[in-house]
Formats: sequence, C-alpha cells, structure tokens
Amino acid sequence: MKAAPFDYARPKSLGEAASLLAAHEDARIIAGGQTLVPMMAMRLARPTLLIDIAHIDGLSGICEEGAQVVIGAMTRQASAEKSSLVHAKLPLLAAALPWVGHTPTRNRGTVGGSVANADPAAEIPLVLVTLDGEVRWQSEKGQGGCKANEFFAGPMSTELPASAILTEVRFPVWDGGNIGVGFHEASARRSDFAYVSAAAQVQLDGNGKCIRCALGIGGATPFPVKLDAACAALEGTMLDAKDIAAALVADVAGLDIMVDGHASPAYRRRVAAALAARALSDARDAATGVRA
Amino acid sequence: MNERPKFRFVSADRRVREDRRFVAGMGKYVGDIAEAGMLHVAIVHAPYTAAKIVSFDASRALAMPGVVAVVEGEELSTNVEPLMNGLDTPKVQRYPLAVKHVRYNGEWVAAVVAQTRAQAEDAAECVDVEYEPLPFVIDAEEAYRPSSPPVHAAHGSNVLLDRTFNWGEIDEDFAASDHQLSLRVTWGRSSTVPLETFGVVAMWDPWAEVMDVRASIQMPKYADQIARAMRLPGNAVRVHYDIDVGGSYGVKRGIKHTVLACYLSMKLKQPVRLIEDRLENMSSGDAHGPDRIFDIDAAFNRDGIVRSMKMRALDNAGAYAGRAPFQLGKPIGAIVGPYKINSVRYHAVSVTSNKAVQEAVRGFGQSPTNYAIETMMDRVAEHLGMDRVEIRRRNFIRADEFPYLIPSGTRYDSGDYHTVVDKVMKHVDWPAFVAERDRLRANGAYAGIGIAACLEPSGGNSSFEPLLNPANTTTTWMESCRINVDALGNITATIHTTSSGQGHETLASTVIGEVLEFDPDSIRIVRTDSLTSLPGNSPVGSRMAVMLGGSCYLAANKLKKKLKAIAAHQFDCAPEDVDYVQGVLRAKDGRTLKWAEMVNIAHRNFHLLPEDCEPGLEVTNVYQVPTGTDLPTADGRVQMYPCHSFEFHCILVTIDPDTGKVDIPRYVIGHDCGTVINPHIVKGMTLGGIAHGLGAALMEEFVYDGEGQMMAQSFMDYLLPSSHEVPQVEIVHHCTPSPFTVMGQKGSGESGYLGAPAAISGAVNDAVRSLGIRFNRLPMRMTAISDAIAEAKSKQSN
Repeated sequence: MKAAPFDYARPKSLGEAASLLAAHEDARIIAGGQTLVPMMAMRLARPTLLIDIAHIDGLSGICEEGAQVVIGAMTRQASAEKSSLVHAKLPLLAAALPWVGHTPTRNRGTVGGSVANADPAAEIPLVLVTLDGEVRWQSEKGQGGCKANEFFAGPMSTELPASAILTEVRFPVWDGGNIGVGFHEASARRSDFAYVSAAAQVQLDGNGKCIRCALGIGGATPFPVKLDAACAALEGTMLDAKDIAAALVADVAGLDIMVDGHASPAYRRRVAAALAARALSDARDAATGVRA
Repeated sequence: MNERPKFRFVSADRRVREDRRFVAGMGKYVGDIAEAGMLHVAIVHAPYTAAKIVSFDASRALAMPGVVAVVEGEELSTNVEPLMNGLDTPKVQRYPLAVKHVRYNGEWVAAVVAQTRAQAEDAAECVDVEYEPLPFVIDAEEAYRPSSPPVHAAHGSNVLLDRTFNWGEIDEDFAASDHQLSLRVTWGRSSTVPLETFGVVAMWDPWAEVMDVRASIQMPKYADQIARAMRLPGNAVRVHYDIDVGGSYGVKRGIKHTVLACYLSMKLKQPVRLIEDRLENMSSGDAHGPDRIFDIDAAFNRDGIVRSMKMRALDNAGAYAGRAPFQLGKPIGAIVGPYKINSVRYHAVSVTSNKAVQEAVRGFGQSPTNYAIETMMDRVAEHLGMDRVEIRRRNFIRADEFPYLIPSGTRYDSGDYHTVVDKVMKHVDWPAFVAERDRLRANGAYAGIGIAACLEPSGGNSSFEPLLNPANTTTTWMESCRINVDALGNITATIHTTSSGQGHETLASTVIGEVLEFDPDSIRIVRTDSLTSLPGNSPVGSRMAVMLGGSCYLAANKLKKKLKAIAAHQFDCAPEDVDYVQGVLRAKDGRTLKWAEMVNIAHRNFHLLPEDCEPGLEVTNVYQVPTGTDLPTADGRVQMYPCHSFEFHCILVTIDPDTGKVDIPRYVIGHDCGTVINPHIVKGMTLGGIAHGLGAALMEEFVYDGEGQMMAQSFMDYLLPSSHEVPQVEIVHHCTPSPFTVMGQKGSGESGYLGAPAAISGAVNDAVRSLGIRFNRLPMRMTAISDAIAEAKSKQSN
C-alpha cells in the first residue's frame, strides 16, 4: 500500500494552483486527503501531480453573505462542526456533520473536498442538495459555479470543469422561526458509509402547519436528490404520519436506486422511505419544540 | 470444591505490567526493526481464481530503480521444502509462492525485492506473467462432489478429510427418543483481524551460519518448521521471542512469509523484511477462519433431555490444507458442550476450494461448533414449547458428576453450570428481563432474548493431530520456565515464546511471586530466543494460564526445595523441618537464614553446600500437559484439553424494524474459568472475545463472489465492530477450580467469543420468531435482516 510515484506542489495562490492543474493532465487537487490518500495507497488513484491547496489564503472560513452561509472549500469539517454560525443558521448541516466519518477524519477532511469527491453516501453533498445550495469554482478561465442540484452527476462524478478548483459552497439560510431539522442514516456501523441517509428541514406556522419543506435522500442513489414533489405535497399539511407517508410514495418509487453488493435495491428504496419519514417527523417535532 | 483458595497476588486487583509500555506506545514490533542494508519485499498476486502459469518475465521489473531480485515459485520450490502439512496428504503441497499453478485469486506468484517497499511495489506491477485460466470451485458442497475440479490435481479430489466418528449407541438412542429434528446452520468465513498485519525480518549470517528471525508470530514449533523448510539444522535458526505481536488470536502464523523471507535473505545475503499490507493480509495472508456448514439431527425426549446428536461439519479449507482440517478436530473435545448427550455421530469433512487458505482462529473451530450446538438447543426448546434456559438446565452436567467423561473421550475437569446460570438469572432478574423484552415488543419493536451456554476447552494439547493423522504420535505439548536468582539476590524468570498480548509477564511474575512470596513487580521476566529456550508450544489453545502458569509454579517450588535443602544443611536438620516464609528460611528451633545469606551461600560458599548440590540458584521446569497424554483409541476417542471453562450468555437485542440494525441494550455473561490469575487480563479477554463474536455474528465476512473474487479486501467491506457497536458487558463471576492444575486455574483466552455468536443469533431469531423467520447463517447482516422482515411482513399482509 504505497502510492505510485507522483509529484507534489504546494501553490501559494489560487491562480498558481489553477495553472498547475491546467498544465498537467493527471494532476489532482488534494485538500484533506481523507479519500484520496487511501485511494492512492491502494493504487486505485494514480495522479502524477498532487496540488496541495491547504496553504492558499482565503480558502478556509465560514461567513454569512446575504441569505447564505458561505463555507470556504478548505474549511475542515471539524471547524464547521464547531462553528456557532453553522449551528445558528444551518441546523441541518450541524445535524449532519457528526455523521461525516469520525473525529480524526473530520479534523483533516474538508467541506469542499467532500463536495468535490461526490461520494453518493456523503452527508455534506446531501445537505447542500436538500437546501438548494450552490457551488463555486475557479479555473484559469475565471470563476464559475452552479446550483447543487446541477453539480452532482453520479458516484464520484461532478460537473466541475476539468481544470477548475472548487472554492466555496453556499448554503441558503432560512428566514424566520419554527424551523426544525431531522437527519437519519442507515449504516452497518456508526459513521460508516451510509446505505441510505435522509435529511429534512421544515418550517411551521404558528398553528403547526408546514409552510416550507426540504427533504433529500443520500446513499441510496448515485448522487443525493431532493424530493421536490414530496416537499411540495407536504407544504400546507400538519406533517402528521399519514401526510408524510402519502407524500413520499411517488417520489421514493421514482428514485434511481444504486446497485452494489452492500444492500439490495429493495432495501435502499424501503429504507429511504422509512428514514425520510423519520427525518421529517423529527424536523416537525424540533420545529414545534417537541423533543424526539 | 467451590472454595476460593487464599492467595496473596494471584486473583488480586493488580495492574497488568505489559500494559504500561503498550499504553505509552513503547512496544517493540517487527515494524520497528531497522537493520542496516535491510531489503523490502512486495508480492505479485495472481489475478485469477485458478490458472496455469504459462510464462513469467521479470526483465522489466529488474530494470527498475532499487530492484535487487525477483523470485518466482519454481526457483523457490527447488530450494526449499514444502511447508508443513499436518495431515497425511502428501500431494497437497504448499510453497510460499505458487508453483506452476495458481489456486486462488490473490495467491502469491512472485516476490520482488528492492531497497524500499515503494520501489518493490512499483516493480511488482511490471512483472509480466501470462496465465491460462482453469476451472475452479468456490462452494464447499460442490467441492465435496467427486465431479468437482480438484484444486490439487495430483491429490485427485478436493477431499482433505472425510471421517465419521461414532461415539456411543447412536442408532439405539435415536430409536428410543420421543422426538427428532434436523437443522442446518452456516458459519460464514471470518477471522481475527489484527491491528498489526503479519511481518517478518529474516537475516542470514553466512559467517555464523545462523538465520535470525524476528516475526510477529504466534505459532508452536515455528523455528523447527523454518529449519525443515530451509533445509537447515534446527540449531541454525534463531527465532527471537522478545518481539511484541500486535494482535493475533491464532492467525499470526506466517510460515509462508517467513520461509520466503529466509530464502531471500540467504540468496541475497542481506536482511530482508516482509510486512503484509492490509490488502495482502486480507486477500492472501492465508489467515482466514472456519467456513463451515453444519447439518444436525437431534434426538430428544418430551422432557427436553437430548439423548443423541448427529452432526456433519463440512468446512471449506481453501486452496491448501493449512490448519483448517484440524479446526474440525479440536471441537471433538467438547462436542456435547456442557450437556449430558449420551451418544454422538460426528462426520467431519474438510475440502479444498479456490479460496484463500485458513489459519488457526480463536477457539480453533469451537465457536462455530458452539453456535451449531446452541442453535440445536434453541430448536429443541422451541419444538417442545419449553423455556430455553430450562432446557439447558435439564441437560447440563451436574456439579457432582465431575470429572465427567463425554462420549468422544474427554474427561471434563470441573464445573458448576447450574450455579453460574442461577447467578446470572438473579443478576438480570429473569422475570424482569423477560418483561422488558415483552414491553419493547408491545411498543412495536422487534426484541429478543439470546441464551448461550458453552465451554472453553483450555490448556491446549493438540490431541486432534494424532486423532486425525495416525502418522502423528505426539502426546506432549509441554511448556517451560527457568528461574535464576542472581548473586545480588534478584529473581529473573525466562519464558520461551512470543506474546501477542496475553500478559505472560504478568502471569509468570504473579505465579512465581505467589510461590516465593516476593512482590511480582520485583521479578524480572525475559523472553529468550529459540536457541536458548527450553521446550514450549507457544500460547495457543487457551493454554498459558494452565501451562506457563503450571511451569512457573513448579519451577518456583523447585527453587524453594533447593533453598530448603541448603538451609537444612546449615541447620543440620531434615529439609522437611525447614520453613520458608517470604524468602527467609527458618528451622524448628527458631534459627533463620535470610534471603541475602542464602544467596551468598549458593553463589559464593561452595563449601557450605550439601553434597551433590549445584552452586547458584537456578532451576528449570518442563511441564507436561496435565491430561491428554495418551494416543487416541482405535474407535476415535481421545482426551483433548485438560480444563473446561464455562460461560453463559444472556442478552437482550432490539432490531430496527426498517433498517434491520441490531442493537444490544443488555449483555450479561456468567464466566467461570477457575482460579483467576489476573482479573484484568481475564476481563480484557472476555470483553474482546464478545466484541469479536459480535463481529462474526453480525458483520465480518470474507465474501467471495461466484468467480472466486474476494469482495472484502479492506476495512470498508470487512466490517469490524467499533466501540459504537460493542455493548456494555456485565460479567458475573464464578470460580470452580480445576482439580488438574496447580492453582485451580483454567483458560480464558477465547472467552466471550465462544458463545457470543450463538447468543446473538438466538436473540435475533427470538426477535423475529413472530414473523416466521429463521436466520440460519452468520453473519446476519442488517440489510439481510431488514429484507427478510420486509418479505415476511408482505407475506403476512397478503
């Protein structure tokens, strides 16, 4: 388990990094390295040049910009997990982060790295898709970006242009009160790659009626998906169990379920429905101040 | 019988002395060795499940930076002997590298030696091997059929072992029984997966003509096996035992790695290091565990008494014999578990297949067998509508029936199973425990109780070897200790094997300290090497408390006897009239000789020594296994291990109705391993054993696909339980000393693991019984549990 030979560069600026990336066909960006390094050790990834972006100023940090929280791509997952801004403004991300790997991997792993890596089971992409977030990048040609629901293309595959570097992810902040979130995963061990995960954020009015709903499924599908029809159907309901079950049927039946050796497609579809329902009811209870 | 002997250090709450250096990160492992000029090895692996090697070309690899040599199987096989094969199957030959044929996916085809491991790995990718794929067989039932393609053509079939034992009047007992039932359970291929993979540094000194070996090893007769394979005299191999081993529980037996490294070192006249990486360890380290199908017929009466059992155990050994067939043999020593089953037919079948090779795994086949026996007991209870604890009580051997001879020839030493169960029932408040399960069920959860009672045969002899291979007439598996008191009066004891974390230093110093009445922490324990060591058999078969403990005890008493003889000579009295109290020798008339005076006489005053007394204070003891020293009888009965620890598991599980995830809110184990030498070591063994058993029951499996590709080559797919999954364990202690050992001690190195899979299986099955589901195969993965629940529910609703 020694990586195949590679060169290593430590650029000081984003421009320098982008030039290196454009100039080398088999170059890879390394951020926290929590996926890439083991893949290299097993020789399943064989970049000829590693471009380490850890020493570029301005790639880390969490700040609020208008109705969004912007997280720099190099921000360590552990920093986001501890961020009071994340806890105050992005309760769904705060709920999901403890599920990302383990404490030691979160100390190294980055928010941007998780998004760029696009593992179907990854939690941060799921939250980003569920909340209709955005992704920004930079290449030699300049800056670019897209909506999260246009970014993910398949397992470990994104629409990030070939010589672009992901620079930040943007999470919309919901305005107002009575917001609750729910997050559930099914995995063989705590913090393993999820067979299925579900993330929900809801907002209720004073009477407990749902006025805004976001629900996403990860792990079960080649990339995280937001269940738009279910969300639309749930807005205006009291989010009781019957409402939830009825709203999920069509969307879950339509999921493009991934096939691998870990879980049967039937398992993933069934558990997606079950975890989505749990996430929604947890979110509802949290919004009404009921503790699960 | 149940009185706890009074000890001073034994059984006391004393720290495990080795833990200090391990916790501080100061252990010394193979990976810490850096000899000058040391070369590194990477392996070329077979990409086929079965194939003929058509051509081999290392020229590209040899031209790469740092590469020193590339060796393939044909060269190796002309220079070394085949690796030891315990069975009498001479045509099933195994070498460290594949010779002409590869027999499983990942098998070692060539070794690339370079200045660094990275260079060796780079070059290994450039070794050009051409293969011609051959037919293969993965499934054990298929391999057992005469029509299956033999993994070793010269052997003619895939059958390594096919033997039926009839112990007692089986047919009569079946005919006389009220009821019969049959069941099949399958134990999926898992193992012990150590944190440290196997590693070895071999260093041939051509001037001293000695092969120095430092390895992460836990194996009997390791030095002998190296010498035989290398065609060296036994006294030309020096295995160093002062190396820490980072986990084993049986599997650290890298003889193929060692012989390969020794050959390379001898060929290149430089030290050679071969350390498996994780991928190699899992795919081709030849360290998988049992892979077994059990078919059982049980005959029992309406009162629940099980009279007879027929068991067929079919084990998938993998591509070479390894230790797999013998792991069908050891369970013969406890084939009826803790029960008075009157007669047994045991059909043991071991077949080769195109899977990786097995190695010894914790319990040596006992845990799968216990899973089968305990599942049978649950089924009998279910069949009769009886309580699962009650049926076990009715079948248990009673405390007053020991020593108890079981049909297969082993005499169990001691036990008090009913009392241990009573204690556990009281601890859990059984009615409340059942009520808690029922409360969970009433709330819509799938909740179940699991019960398992089983034995841990311990004190490891290997009587299964002569039993399964008549050419083997071994009847001793000794262990040794040497104690020396130096001229300053300090005590040093030697032990003659490596440690893979069992706490031998604590064990030896505690026992010697107890006998000599010295603070164990003042006693130095050193590990020798194979050229300076006394005979021994390494820590296998839960043997060290019994065997090393026994040898230390006897050596210390021998020293005491010598001291008394010297003192008696000074006092001019009989040695029997001298008392020994905390290092002071005292005559009946009150005269005393202090420790320092005794040391001075022994080391400096030959003129004061009795006749025929050697100077100095040095003693050795070579200790024979207390029982099991006869060859097997013609009808296949033999005394297996001398001691039998008992464990009784009582657990509560819940299953998430959607995800299928199993949670264990309550895990209680009653444990009786006789006199405990160090309670922390026993507790650690038991907790670790339960964690290991949980893995085997729910998560761990080396899964092969239909093409013979191993699908669990890393920790992403081979799932070990983490601290999140392992429950809090409550241990209920009991002590029934063994009458056969020096302090009443029994083994505990396999405790927990031997019953946990059975208990967890029983609990999961109890939880889903209302759905009409049975899980008959381990591991029970959460996804499969969920799928079965969903299917059963959809059937119910139709």
